[in-house]
Amino acid sequence: MKYESQGVAKLYFIAAIGLFVGQILFGVIMGVQYISGDFLFPEIPFNVARMVHTNLLIVWLLFGFMGSAYYLVPEESERELFSPFLAKLMFWVFLVAGALTILGYLLVPYATLAEITMNDLLPTMGREFLEQPTITKIGIVIVALSFLFNIGMTILTGRKTVITLVLLTGLAGLAVFFLFSFYNPDNLILDKYFWWFVVHLWVEGVWELIMASLLAYVLIKVTGVDREVIEKWLYIIIAMALISGLVGTGHHFFWIGTPDYWQWLGSIFSALEPIPFFMMTLFAFNVVNKRRRDHPNKAAVLWALGTAVMAFLGAGVWGFLHTLAPVNYYTHGTQITAAHGHMAFYGAYVMVVLTMISYSMPIMRGHKASNERAQVFEMWSFWLMTVSMVFITLFLTGAGILQVYLQRYSEAPLGFMVTQDKLAIFYIMREVAGLVFLAGLIVYILSFFVKGKEVEVI
Amino acid sequence: MEGGFFYRQKNLMRSTNKIPLQRASNAALASLLNLTLLPVLGFAYLIFTFKKTDPDGIDRYHTILGIKINIIAATVLLVVSGLMIFFGGFDSPWTWVYVISYFTIVHTVFIVFAIWALVRAWSGEKLRSSFTKT
Ligand code: HEM
Ligand code: HEM
Ligand SMILES: [Fe+2]
Repeated sequence: MKYESQGVAKLYFIAAIGLFVGQILFGVIMGVQYISGDFLFPEIPFNVARMVHTNLLIVWLLFGFMGSAYYLVPEESERELFSPFLAKLMFWVFLVAGALTILGYLLVPYATLAEITMNDLLPTMGREFLEQPTITKIGIVIVALSFLFNIGMTILTGRKTVITLVLLTGLAGLAVFFLFSFYNPDNLILDKYFWWFVVHLWVEGVWELIMASLLAYVLIKVTGVDREVIEKWLYIIIAMALISGLVGTGHHFFWIGTPDYWQWLGSIFSALEPIPFFMMTLFAFNVVNKRRRDHPNKAAVLWALGTAVMAFLGAGVWGFLHTLAPVNYYTHGTQITAAHGHMAFYGAYVMVVLTMISYSMPIMRGHKASNERAQVFEMWSFWLMTVSMVFITLFLTGAGILQVYLQRYSEAPLGFMVTQDKLAIFYIMREVAGLVFLAGLIVYILSFFVKGKEVEVI
Repeated sequence: MEGGFFYRQKNLMRSTNKIPLQRASNAALASLLNLTLLPVLGFAYLIFTFKKTDPDGIDRYHTILGIKINIIAATVLLVVSGLMIFFGGFDSPWTWVYVISYFTIVHTVFIVFAIWALVRAWSGEKLRSSFTKT
């Protein structure tokens, strides 16, 4: 570790991994509920489990992004963090706010939670991914602004690199687009517009900048390839991401009461959205192929390549699968959507955070890379989680195709629940794959504790 | 060791063999395009450049690789999907469950492979290198 203040990242990463475990536990609980509806009812109803699953995902990814930024920025800027104290303070604020919110979901009915948190004053609750009480949302904004201030001051008063500037733009965009979550018009159609301005413009806009810059940073470190080469790639990738992703929001406006032109705009621009993900694969392969050294942290290289490929698969390919209006007419809101949501979130954002952790955690613990046995564990966890996620996606895709056919395409369409009964086999297989994923996650955590012959000490 | 002997050797090789390298890169790109945006046209390009390539050159290697991969891909994707439809029946939902899932995932595997072949062609190398990096 070149700068002492990079060490705050460790806190953030530990919290991220802890919440990741929570997310997956609720995932496998819901997986059982899909097979046997009464499971854990009334203690943990499906809608609550779902909210906890998705909110934990978002929160731990935010912890991951912040930790990554705190690790990366001092090194790139060649100076200590502007305020390590603020970084630690905000960590605890965010952790406590996050934990209280999740407990709120679990312990009281959602309507009661809305009441005690005085949702009436500024109603923002009740929308997928943005279920947090208004007061939590305000907390998130405070944490995000303090974080941006801290990172921004470090970047602007230090060495400026393309990587930090792209990262800063992405993080600033993340904070700005979150502000749309405070606007909650009564008109359901307008409401959906603004909801997507958060959700879509995050994952298919500014988060892509964050992802590309983190990936570029790790790739420079593990391959020793010249910065200039990597910077050129970064420019093209982010340009393509923004050109396609902004108007691409239209792929969510096909059937919600919006003007017809969105079917054209959304289809055409979102059809270009796979390009930045494709380019990230090309970029990562190219850089690894041209590497000037073999870094002892093989696990980090594996995660970096895996991120590029899986993001292309989940976002690029599985996104394209249902993004054209004539296809989406049939697939909208089916298990196809869930299949894509899982692989895209895992392949792009989960994996890029794990890539950063894989690269930086050993260094923060005083080694250039983990010992060999630990790396073997880590690589096993990579394959267990990644392959099981491919299977989760395939089973949900199968379920989705059957669902579309029986419920929407066939000449004698079946009702929703009648169709669901016929998808049982897929849900059982999805749950098995989910349990393998959980096993992979356990192996991942073990990898931090495995002892063995250390590689280079720094 | 930063750089290293083989790295410099490779750079040397790269600068002296510009034209075959260019052809190899184009061939690998055509192979990738044939799998994605320009099916048939990409393949036509590969057949067309084949004659121009040097029998022992890197350009010949990547042209042949592109032709092979695309023939295999066409067989594995179109023929197998066709058989699934033939035996499964056009009107059975299960046919489409298999065909769409199979086609999407296997198609992607070929694309990812072609991306790797492309970056190998860019650096003037075959899929497997005969020397290891330092
Ligand atoms: C890493 C990037 C991405 C992530 C994390 C992601 C995630 C998601 C999620 C979670 C949903 C479901 C939202 C909901 O209704 O609750 C969704 C929907 C959708 N995504 Fe993505 N996505 C990504 C990239 C893409 C790309 C590149 C495309 C197009 C090429 C795409 C096309 C779509 C479409 C069309 C829908 C709407 C599905 C429907 O009508 O039900 N996504 N995405
Ligand atoms: C890192 C891994 C995972 C990620 C990134 C993830 C992400 C997500 C996302 C984004 C959604 C919302 C989907 C949508 O709106 O379409 C979701 C819902 C869900 N997830 Fe996960 N998940 C993961 C692991 C799991 C596992 C292991 C299981 C269980 C076996 C699981 C089961 C579910 C279920 C049952 C839902 C609800 C789907 C519905 O409402 O019908 N997830 N997950
Ligand atoms: Fe979208």
